[in-house]
Amino acid sequence: MEKPNKKRLNRFPWVARFLGGWAIYRQNLLGKIGLGLLVIFGLMALCSFIPPLIDPMYQPMIGVDPEISYSTGPCIRHWLGTDFMGRDILSQLLAGARVAFMVGISAAFMSIVFGTAIGMIAGYMGRFIDTLLMRFADMIMVMPTLLVVLIMAALFGQLNIWTIVLIIALFRWPGVSRVIRAQTLSLKQRPFIEAAKVAGASHARIIFRHIMPNVLPLAFLYMTFRVTSAIIIEAALAFLGFGDPSTVSWGMMLQWVWKTGHMFNAPYWLLPPGICISLITLSFYMLGRAMDEVLDPRLRNEEQAG
Amino acid sequence: MELLKYIGRRLIQIVIIFFVILTVLFLLFRLAPGDPVSRMVDPDMTPEDAELLISQLGLDQPLGVQYVYYLKNFFTGNFGNSFNYGEPVIKIIWDRLPNTILLFTTAIILSALVGIFLGKIASWHKGEKTDTVMTIGALVTHTVFLPWLGLILIWVFAYKLGWFPITGMLSEDIWMDPDVGLLTKYLDVFHHMVLPLATLFLIHFGSYLLIMRSSMLDTLKEDYILTAKAKGLKEKVIRNHHAAPNAALPVVTSVGLSLAFSINGGALTETVFTWPGIGRELVMSVSQNDYPLAQASFLLIAIVVLLSNLVVDILYAYLDPRIRY
Repeated sequence: MEKPNKKRLNRFPWVARFLGGWAIYRQNLLGKIGLGLLVIFGLMALCSFIPPLIDPMYQPMIGVDPEISYSTGPCIRHWLGTDFMGRDILSQLLAGARVAFMVGISAAFMSIVFGTAIGMIAGYMGRFIDTLLMRFADMIMVMPTLLVVLIMAALFGQLNIWTIVLIIALFRWPGVSRVIRAQTLSLKQRPFIEAAKVAGASHARIIFRHIMPNVLPLAFLYMTFRVTSAIIIEAALAFLGFGDPSTVSWGMMLQWVWKTGHMFNAPYWLLPPGICISLITLSFYMLGRAMDEVLDPRLRNEEQAG
Repeated sequence: MELLKYIGRRLIQIVIIFFVILTVLFLLFRLAPGDPVSRMVDPDMTPEDAELLISQLGLDQPLGVQYVYYLKNFFTGNFGNSFNYGEPVIKIIWDRLPNTILLFTTAIILSALVGIFLGKIASWHKGEKTDTVMTIGALVTHTVFLPWLGLILIWVFAYKLGWFPITGMLSEDIWMDPDVGLLTKYLDVFHHMVLPLATLFLIHFGSYLLIMRSSMLDTLKEDYILTAKAKGLKEKVIRNHHAAPNAALPVVTSVGLSLAFSINGGALTETVFTWPGIGRELVMSVSQNDYPLAQASFLLIAIVVLLSNLVVDILYAYLDPRIRY
């Protein structure tokens, strides 16, 4: 049993690395809680397709209960009650999970792509390009992203969800690029880069074939933290009334309960979206911290040294 | 002397960054789809007034000349009139700025101090129940969705319990009454400030606590701590006088790095609590298409962010004599 298994692992070193990481990850309580919560949110996002199939009145955005035209508390037909025009809150909540994942993961992915590329180029090229890119990063870093998106909304009118995602990504890469740059700077001194240079590899080849594989784990670690901030920014934007009007996000639900004056008499409507936003950011945050420990052996030893 | 040189260099950087922001904003406002004139000129104006304003702003000139006008107007504090208030934008902004600074700086300083204090305790009790409770508490309060937290606080403490006012910054009957003393007036503002302050505080102190905790754990492994222990110093002295001051440095850095995040939170808090600050003014002006006010509020917030970054840098250089840039 043992041998073929090992052989297979040798052929795919990343599988072995992944399993090793997973063994460490499993010991982390916060990491386990975070992952568990994320699985629940993932299930919610999957389930969001079910209610509209049962009855068109469960359409999160356009489905209205024909008998209800005001906000009611939880009942058999609507497990979490309805909003001010008789739309089902539970189906909105499920759809919100889908939007949160979509926004969070796509914005985070784009921002680490930008951040990694810029960080590697800055670190590898050094000198003028490095200074220029890092000053640029400093500048973007101090800009409050939410307010930047607000100004964009003022200028370009109603933003759709993908534009929002893109703007978030464009303003959230500097943190990633700093870390990647630092990592690249230390990698650059290693003999294997020298060797690649001597062998005649081009700059692009060195960056993408030799440096990138070594910085990617770090980049993905940062991705989990970027997911958190992207979800928060989208939710806050929707809460302020500048979200995409064709998507039902949790922030949008909070905006409805706030703007229609139901916040004091409809806890069944006020509580769920807020709890969901808070928990999903918490779980991504915990996931990130746990992965931090997997990827940074220094932290691991510290835990063991106790 | 070196510190002064450092400050001077940072100031030059800040001025450059600010010019870039100023220019980008100028280009965005002129080149965004739609008519730039309609963004600068109040639709309710008479045609004669509109003509005058257009020539004042140079909107009938080429882009380069417009830019010169724009810079001139910026440095003379002429941002035009707000569409919504009908008053000069600069007056509204100066009116709102102190409110924002009051709420924001109090919240940041308070949460940094409490975060440092609690993080110190958590690290000292590492692995014990105190540490676990504090770490989890910090994680939860740090990630809770800010506007929602604000709404919940309003709902519980202002609506259900009635301890605090629901909105605003001051009660008009107290401030209009000539017989009321100044102290009562200040207490009234403080009374209004408790809930927004609590919101910002709860969101921020957690991350400072976590940073302080891990930095303290690193510091406790240093040789000089071992020396102090070997000398037979009391644990309390080691913790408070040897470890904590050094461990607190990363917290200062983090205050600077998280300023953009904090400013977002400040704007949200002001909006939820109708606190008359710059952030709320920006949100409202954007939703009412009040372009001059939106532009000026944004620029002012940018200045505030840049200057607070400078303050944090100076503080850091002062606190850590090893660092001379």
